[in-house]
Amino acid sequence: MNDLALKTENLDKLYKLGGRQVQALSDVTIEIQKGDFLSIMGPSGSGKTTLLNILGCLDKPTHGEVFLDGKNVTKVPEKDLHKIRKNKIGFMFQTFNLMPWLNAIENVELPMEGTKKSKAERQKRARELLEMVGLSKRIEHRPHKLSAGEQQRVAIARALANNPAIVLADEPTGNLDAKTKYEIMRLLGKLNAEQGTTIIVVTHDNKVGSRAHRMLFLNDGKLLKKERKGSHLMKLTCPKCGKEIQPDDTFCAGCGKRL
Amino acid sequence: MKNLGVFTRALRNVSRRKIRALLVIIALSLSVAILISIPTGIMANQEAAEQLSANYDSYLENMETEITTAATLLEVSLSPGFAAAGFGGGGPPEGGFGGGGFTGGFMSRESFFNETAVSNITTIEGVAAVIPVLEKSEGTLETRSTQFGEFEFLRPEYTIVGVPLDDSILSNYPVLPSEIIEGRTLVEGDSGVVLLSVNNTEYFGVGVNDQINILGSDFTVVGVYSTTVTQEMTNLYMSLSEAQEITELEGEISRLDVYAENEDVIDEVSNDITAMYAEFYVNTAESRLEAITTMAERQVDILEDAEADLVETQAVAYMEIGIAVVATSLIVLFTMLYTVRERTQEIGVLKAIGFSNGNIMSQFMLEGMFLSIVAGLVGVIIGMVGAPIITQLLLTGLSASNSGPEQAFTGRQIGIPGLTVEASIATPTVELLLIVFAGAVLLGIIGSLYPAWQASKTSPMEALRRE
Repeated sequence: MNDLALKTENLDKLYKLGGRQVQALSDVTIEIQKGDFLSIMGPSGSGKTTLLNILGCLDKPTHGEVFLDGKNVTKVPEKDLHKIRKNKIGFMFQTFNLMPWLNAIENVELPMEGTKKSKAERQKRARELLEMVGLSKRIEHRPHKLSAGEQQRVAIARALANNPAIVLADEPTGNLDAKTKYEIMRLLGKLNAEQGTTIIVVTHDNKVGSRAHRMLFLNDGKLLKKERKGSHLMKLTCPKCGKEIQPDDTFCAGCGKRL
Repeated sequence: MKNLGVFTRALRNVSRRKIRALLVIIALSLSVAILISIPTGIMANQEAAEQLSANYDSYLENMETEITTAATLLEVSLSPGFAAAGFGGGGPPEGGFGGGGFTGGFMSRESFFNETAVSNITTIEGVAAVIPVLEKSEGTLETRSTQFGEFEFLRPEYTIVGVPLDDSILSNYPVLPSEIIEGRTLVEGDSGVVLLSVNNTEYFGVGVNDQINILGSDFTVVGVYSTTVTQEMTNLYMSLSEAQEITELEGEISRLDVYAENEDVIDEVSNDITAMYAEFYVNTAESRLEAITTMAERQVDILEDAEADLVETQAVAYMEIGIAVVATSLIVLFTMLYTVRERTQEIGVLKAIGFSNGNIMSQFMLEGMFLSIVAGLVGVIIGMVGAPIITQLLLTGLSASNSGPEQAFTGRQIGIPGLTVEASIATPTVELLLIVFAGAVLLGIIGSLYPAWQASKTSPMEALRRE
C-alpha cells in the first residue's frame, strides 16, 4: 500500500439524466504505483473524464473507495477536498486553463498561495519549475504571448508546484499540433523518469497514450481486462510518407517534404 | 503576507474589464453623489425654513410694536397703498406686499404732489405735526405677467428718501431708521451726506466716509443702518431739499406723515384731510393694523403651505434616497452576478488547483468592495462639488424667486411676500461624507454577497466542463 500512489476499489458512478439512471463507471479497480506513467484510454463517453474527476477529488463515487497516497479520500468531507487537491494532486487540462491576467511565473505560483511558503520561496520554486520545462526566458509573459505548447508547459509547471503525489492530465495534447504533442509527451516522460512524478494521462489518442508505461482501457464505464505496456517512445512521422522524423527536422529525409 | 495574493488578485480582476469597471463606477458614484446631495439640500432647506419662521416672528413683533407706537400716524398720499394694492388693485408691488415700517410706508413711490399741502394740513384741528417725505426709486423697468394681468414694474436698485432734517421732527418722530450699525444717523443741518442701508453699501460698494455719486451729485456716507423690513432694505436717506434737487422734483413730495395730537382725534383728522383733498388716500393706524393682520394671516397661510411643501419635498427626497440605496446595491449585485457567470470556468480551475470555497468567496467580495470604494471616493468628490446643482435638479424647495448665485441652496432666495431669508448654500458636512462613503462600501459588500456565495458553491467539475 505504501508504494501505491493511487488505488481505487470497485468504483461505481451513477448519474440521473432526465429521469433515468446512467452508469458512467462500473466496478473500476485500479492500482497505480508511485512513479508510474499511466494512460487511461477509451472512446468518447467511455467514462475517462468521470474517472479522472473522481481520482482528482473533483467528484465522489456513488460506490467504492479511492485511496490517494495511502489516505481514503472518499471519506474526506467535501469542504476539505480542496486541501487534498492543493497538496496531493496536480491538474493539466486540454485547454491549458491558465489565468490570462497573470504571467507565467504568477500562474505557476498560484497553487502555492495559502501554503506555508513565503513569497520568495514561491517565486524561487516557480522559477525552477519553469526552467525545468524550458521556459526560463518567458517567465514574465502572459498566456496570450505564449504559443500553445508553451502554455501547456506552464500548465505542467503549475501542476508540479506543490510537489503533488500524482499529476492528472486530461487530454493534455488535445489542442496541440503533432510536433508539440510529441514535445509535451516527451517532457512528461522526462519528468516521470527524472523526478519520479506519478503521471496519469487521459486521452483518446493512441499515439499519445502509447507514450506511457501502462495503458488502461475504458469502455462504457468498465475497465477492460487487457492492459498494454506503452512503448515509451512516441514516434514522430512525416505526414506525407510516414517515415520517422526527428523533432528538429525541417525537411523529411524520405520524401523531401518541408516540415 | 500570505493573504496579499487575494487583494492583488481581486484588484487585477477588477481592472481586467476596464470599461465595465468604469461604467459601474460612474453609475455607483452618481448614486453616492445623490445620497450626499439630497440630505444636504434637505438640511439647507430646513435651516432656511427655520430662519424664515424666526425672522417672521420677530418681523411681526416689530410691526406690531411700530404700529402701536405710531398709533397717531396718518399716512397721506396719492396712492391707495397696501390695502388696495394687495387686494384687487393694481397688482402686487415689486418686492412683495410691503408691510414696511413707517419710514417706508405702504405707499407707491412714484406719485408726487406739491408740498404746499403741508401748510394746509397743518391748519387742521388736532394735527400735531406734518412731515413731508419724498421717495423716488431708481432702477430698471420690467414687464411682468401676473394673475392680475401684465404690468410694468420698476425693479428698484435703491430708493432715495428725502426727509426734513429738522431737530424738532427728528427727535420726536421715527422719520429715520433706528438701528445704526456703523457711523451715525442724519442730524439737523446735514448737507451733502447720506445714510445707507446694508444693501446699499453692497450695491454701491462703499462704506462710511466714502464718497457716493447719486444721479450726478456727490455725497458722503455718514452712516449705515440695518433693517429686517423688506421695504426699507434699499432706502437711501438724505435731506428733503437735496432729494428734491437731484431728482428734479423741486417742491414735490410723495407722502405726508401726519401725526394727530392723540388717538381720539384720528378719525376727525382723517375726515378733514379727505374733505380738504379728495384725491388723497389716508392710512390710519387702524387701517394699517387691519392690513397687517390680513397680511399676517395670508403670510401664515403661505408659511404653512411652504412647510407642507417642505414636508412633501422631503418625502420625495427620502424616496429618492431609498431609490439610490437600492440602485447602488443592485448595480453591484448584477455586475458581480454577471462576472461570476462569465468566470465560471476560471472558478473551476481555481478550485481544481486547491482554492477553497472561502478563498473564492473572499476574492469576489473584495472585487465588489474595490468597485464600491473607488465609486464611493468619486461620488464623494462629485457630491461635494455638485451638491447645489444636484439638489436643484432633485428638490423643488420652497416657492421663491431666483435672486442670484449667492442665494440659497438651490440658487433661490426663500421667502414669503414681505419677508425673505437667504438660505445657506448646500455644503455637505464631513460627517455626512464619511457616513455616505461608508454606506456605499457597505452596500457594495452587501451587493457582492450573493454572487460571491454563488461563486464559492460552483461545482468545479461542472465549471470545468463549460467553455
